[in-house]
Parts: sequence; C-alpha cells; structure tokens
Amino acid sequence: MILIHCPYCDEKRAELEFAYAGQAHIARPLDPSALSDEEWETYLFIRNNPRGRHHERWRHIHGCGRFFNAVRDTVTDKFETTYKAGEPRK
Amino acid sequence: MSELLARIEPTPTVPFAGNGVTVTSAPPMARFSLRARKAADLEKLLGVSVPQKIGTMQSGVMCLGPDEWLMLAPDGTKIADGAGLSLAVTEVSDRNVAILLEGPRAASVLAAGCALDFDHFEVGRATRTIFETVEIIVVREAAERFHVEVWRSFAPWLWTAFVTVAAE
Repeated sequence: MILIHCPYCDEKRAELEFAYAGQAHIARPLDPSALSDEEWETYLFIRNNPRGRHHERWRHIHGCGRFFNAVRDTVTDKFETTYKAGEPRK
Repeated sequence: MSELLARIEPTPTVPFAGNGVTVTSAPPMARFSLRARKAADLEKLLGVSVPQKIGTMQSGVMCLGPDEWLMLAPDGTKIADGAGLSLAVTEVSDRNVAILLEGPRAASVLAAGCALDFDHFEVGRATRTIFETVEIIVVREAAERFHVEVWRSFAPWLWTAFVTVAAE
C-alpha cells in the first residue's frame, strides 16, 4: 500500500484515505468574460499528461479533509513531495 | 405506545465478549462539530484550551483538521452557538454512535480493517481514518481501550465486522 505524507497532518497515511483531485496549479482566470472560447476551453478542459513528474492535487478526504498539492511520478507512482495548498510550485 | 417511541440503537445493547476483546456500544452522548479558522475563537466559546495539533485530543475536544474539531460530552450537554464569533457550531449527537473496543486484542481487531500503525498510536490520540470502506474516528483512550466513532447508518456493518474479527 502506498503511504502518502499529508502536509497538514504531518504524517504518512495509507493511500485509501486520500482522493485524487486533478492537476494542480491551475489558476482561474480573473476575468473569464474577457477570454476567447479557445482560452476558456483550455482553462476548463486541457490538462497535461506527462510521462514522469506531475503536479497534482490530492485531498486527505478520510483524514483532515484538506486539499494539498503533490508531485508524483506517473511512471513509478512514487510521490516525490507533498506540500500545502497555496505554497509555490515545487 | 411509549415503547414505539423508544430510541432505537443501531448496534446491540449487549456487549460482545470475543477472544481477548470486548465490543460494546457506547451510551448516547452529546457531540458537537466545531469549525473555526482560529482556535482562539473556539477557546473563547468553550472556556478551555483546545488542541491545535491534528490528531490530538484534550478535555473531550479532538482536532480533526486545521479548522475542524469534534467535541464529545455527556449526554444532554448544551453549548453556546457562538454568535458573534467567527466559528460554526453544529450539534451532531445523533449523527454518530460510538463502539468501544477493550482488551488486549483491541488494537489487532482495529488493525484488521484499518491501516494505522497501532504500535505507534499513543494513548490520547484521535484521528479520522477509514476501516475497510467506512469512515471512522479512532480515539485511543487507554493502551487497551479504543473509542470508535462512526456514522449511525454504518454502525451495524462496523459492529458486525468487529464482532467477526473479535470472535476469531
């Protein structure tokens, strides 16, 4: 079983307690009405699909309930690091 | 007629004595879900200091998340609604029931469906976690005594799971 370090609980917990929540660091446009349809589509739907290092959001849903960010390798499924939401990209 | 109005418990009122562990339904108690950005607001409301490290418990109040606490108190306890303070108080006394596990095998019964490391889970710790597929809150009240909070509708299943493991 994979153990994931929750930056809020500050301990490693079983993957069962967590939920994946998509790619991280996607900022909502400040003025959506100024965007073209293509730009809005990119914001809503277009995601990276890297082979390797991926920044993603996770939620410790069956623990402290908080969203946080993680860097995971999509090939090995290893978590490189996890950090609190709002902290700069690692 | 009055017996029809009696409270119906989701788990048996008779304890189950298994192999090295006793499974008991806890009596009804008052529970409050407390949400606040700052613990200081909560301390102002309750008049006691509340734990700020996630997974710890102090005077009946456990810290479940960075802005979330659960308070356990004797049945019938009422607390102020916190008007004027930046917090939310919700009474959830009947949302949860509690099952108590006592005995030398208590930790191993829990470990049957829960991935926490009970060798390093100190007395006084309280955390939300998952047992098989059911969300629970585990409180270690003593080395061989656990208090398990579970949502009412999941309680019969959890009771059966505990009893099954306890009987082994």
